[in-house]
Amino acid sequence: MENNILVIGAGITGIEASILLANAGKHVYLVEKSPIIGGNIIKFEHVFPNFECATCLVSPRQQEVLQNSNIELLLLSEVKKVTGKPGAFSVKIKKQARYVDMENCIGCGACYDVCPVKIPNEYEENLMQRFAIYVPYSGSLPNVPAIDTENCIRFAGEECNACQESCMFEAINYDEKDEELDLKVDAIIVSTGFQQHKPVAKYGWGTIDDVYNAFEFERIFASNGPTTGEIKKKDGSEPKSIAIIHCVGRDENKYCSAVCCINSLKFIHYLKEKIEDIKITNFYRDLCLPGKKYDKFAGDMKSLGTDFIRSDDIEISSGDKSILVNYMNGDAKKQLPADMVILSSSIEPQKDNNDLAKVLGIELDSFGFFQESDPDFGTETSTRDGIYIAGCAQAPKDIQNCVTQAQSAVEKALFQFNLK
Amino acid sequence: MKERIGIFLCECGPNIAEKIDLDKVKEALEHLPNVVIVARHKLFCSLQGKEFLKESIKENNLTRFVIAACSPKQHELTFMIVAEDAGMNPHLFQMANIREQCAWIIEDKDEATKKAILYIKAAYKRVIYHESLDKKEIVANPDVLVIGGGIAGIEASLALAGPDRKVYLIEKTESLGGKIKEFDEVFISFKNGQSIIDERLERIEKEDNIETRLQAEVIDVKGFLGNFIVIVKTGDSEEKIQVGAIIVAIGFELINLSQLKGYGSLDCDDIYTGLEFEKMKKEGKITTKSGSVPKSVGIIHCIGRNEVGYCSGVCCLSSIKFSKYIQDKLPGTNIFEFYRDLTLPDKAYQKFYENIENKGVNFIQADDIKIANEKGLKIKYNKNKSTQPVDMIILSPAYVPAKDSNSLAEMLRIPRDDSGFFTEEHPKLAPVNTSAEGIFIIGCAQGPKSIKDSISQAHAAAGKILASIIPGKKLEPEVRISYINEAFCIGCQKCLNTCNYGAIYFDNLKFISIVNEVLCHGCGNCIASCNSSAIQLKHFKDIQMHQEIIEILR
Repeated sequence: MENNILVIGAGITGIEASILLANAGKHVYLVEKSPIIGGNIIKFEHVFPNFECATCLVSPRQQEVLQNSNIELLLLSEVKKVTGKPGAFSVKIKKQARYVDMENCIGCGACYDVCPVKIPNEYEENLMQRFAIYVPYSGSLPNVPAIDTENCIRFAGEECNACQESCMFEAINYDEKDEELDLKVDAIIVSTGFQQHKPVAKYGWGTIDDVYNAFEFERIFASNGPTTGEIKKKDGSEPKSIAIIHCVGRDENKYCSAVCCINSLKFIHYLKEKIEDIKITNFYRDLCLPGKKYDKFAGDMKSLGTDFIRSDDIEISSGDKSILVNYMNGDAKKQLPADMVILSSSIEPQKDNNDLAKVLGIELDSFGFFQESDPDFGTETSTRDGIYIAGCAQAPKDIQNCVTQAQSAVEKALFQFNLK
Repeated sequence: MKERIGIFLCECGPNIAEKIDLDKVKEALEHLPNVVIVARHKLFCSLQGKEFLKESIKENNLTRFVIAACSPKQHELTFMIVAEDAGMNPHLFQMANIREQCAWIIEDKDEATKKAILYIKAAYKRVIYHESLDKKEIVANPDVLVIGGGIAGIEASLALAGPDRKVYLIEKTESLGGKIKEFDEVFISFKNGQSIIDERLERIEKEDNIETRLQAEVIDVKGFLGNFIVIVKTGDSEEKIQVGAIIVAIGFELINLSQLKGYGSLDCDDIYTGLEFEKMKKEGKITTKSGSVPKSVGIIHCIGRNEVGYCSGVCCLSSIKFSKYIQDKLPGTNIFEFYRDLTLPDKAYQKFYENIENKGVNFIQADDIKIANEKGLKIKYNKNKSTQPVDMIILSPAYVPAKDSNSLAEMLRIPRDDSGFFTEEHPKLAPVNTSAEGIFIIGCAQGPKSIKDSISQAHAAAGKILASIIPGKKLEPEVRISYINEAFCIGCQKCLNTCNYGAIYFDNLKFISIVNEVLCHGCGNCIASCNSSAIQLKHFKDIQMHQEIIEILR
């Protein structure tokens, strides 16, 4: 008998789990709330430690998801209700209308040029604009736009059918309706990922120009991002000095996110690649480099040229000519000017974890991540039978460990059906 | 049989049609030898487009076809499926990318049209030399060999064994359990190591499909994914075991302290490694050699980190756990933790650290530690400017690869990192696979890691095996692979070293190299290494490539 498995979240973890399950002959419903698949990893230009192009790394997997007949991809969808028990869960899914036919659209982009609406693109960290009919990034997969009805003027009552008229493939249908789907599944894997911490006021984020968080900087560096990879200050000039602040949000969250140190060191490479003589200063607490590869990686990055200052008390203020990093070094209060600041913000639980936990009937831990059944021996099992957790939905971790957990969760789901 | 070739031009909506003069293209192709149809469609990847293509193949009795459209990355698979649906071998077509490589990058329509014609003609020339490639199926043995009976090996065995799958668990010592059974408590669940193992041993006992071999070692491995033949030696007897997959879970060792320089005197009394201290705790006797209760203990992190060149990722946590042991057993003891960079990479770890610190442990950041034995043990740091006398010292030495790693790597033909641990197939996307298909690495054999991460890897490898080697289901290996022309092979064996997948072996009798059709991934490395052009890659044969290139350069 064919088993159905629901995977929630189509980031790298959900993609890995879905492909593996599909290859095992299971039918997978992959539910994703955004219009595309790939999650956070596609925000990255390169991934540590080998500087592989992240989108190149993931796109074969994304294609596999799109082409695998055992995977039913439900985009713009959310899980609304779960009843039943392992082997017989009933799941209600709300699927928002995309208004663009996935079969007919070829992703030519003709509809963007005619859309009169321009709004900040949240996927690009609001650093550039998008239209009301949009794909999050250039190169998104599936390369099919969606209409954002909250911002589309037609859905606000105005006369506009510009995008429909521009489409040569009759792919746009304003009458498409949101759907409710009832699925029967045997097991559920939760791989909803994380969100980036919003730095508190003392870091000057959002108030002082040229202070960016890690994702913003990642997009600035990205060749398909808002500046097509040019690192420039807001006034258009090239920064001569930059401060990278580690552990932003650690005090608030009370845990170490495990990846930010290594990711911060990666930025040294990014910066030196574009601006050879830029002065870089890393403000850190403890360099957290767990694993067989990262001391060497850190050594390689350090050799490119950076200062390290150990400090756990940092405040960013704006000076006359530059940004000022105010920090405590021992008992001394010190100050370092910088043209640009990158805040290495921590990994945080998704803000809707609580809602999803209620729907699924599983518990969250004190931080808001999904609670594992055992911190050493059951990190991929939730507090409810038949529901598994993987990736940053369970705890902050790197891509390698996300993929490992995805594979592990698949084993546990298959184990449940005694398919050994 | 006379060839009947079709050429199909995709308009890709306006994408191609507006940038390339497809009428001109059609004109240039219609009179090519054996071309029986040149047809265009608004969008071949659409439902109607695919249907049109399928019907055209059938109606015209096509033997091969070319489709000029987008990148094969996007739609090669789509059209392979159409070809199959039309009853044609899916390798008898070729795509010409006239969108990304012509329409999208050339402003001038005439130029774009010219280039498109060139590309399509090249594809036409190439497709003439295409050959049918048939899918193969091989029977795979679902059984699994697990090397190493520590917690990772045990977990993997329990996850895999079942009515249709036998697991052979090979352990070189006299008992299962590995290092964890030495731990009085494991972080972060603080369960007792021995009882963790006991509970699992009971399950192994009840599981008919796990066969354990103690005091045993693997002495030879032959074969490949789905069909390994392993010789296991137990005592004086040797047995042949056949399995479909192998999991390597041989764990780690602590760095040998005698290799370390720069720490001063490490071989004095009352200096213990973490594992030795675990034993004291387990026996319930934390005392100095003279039998007295230590009033002060120094715990030193990062021992040997410089020598090995990596952070083991777990020593900070186990060091902090030692503080907990001492606080639990000997409250009031002065504890000093000397660390370099506190590494607490998980959501639960910081709280644990804060709890211990709040109970009065002194955490001292120092990069340079020297131990002196001058009227008692002394820890010197801060360029010898500070000194802390203690009664006992616990060292947290680096994790290093298990001793057998080297010989096992050679036997299994899997690579190791600079650090000596086994190398995963990909550091992000395939952490428990190796370049040898069917051989997996888990736990500290892959790299130093916590118990929690070892357990995850054990289940990950089990998941990969459960999903790929399914009892009763055959494997379908890649068909676009290398093959060696026996007549041309001169037996130089250069290709053996270029293969990342261990897919080429040498036949000493015939004195030629042979490609294993199951293991070959079709990467093409060996072809470049072959002096005598004896190796060819199916679907990318010299003649196919040459014909295509000659036509493009015309």
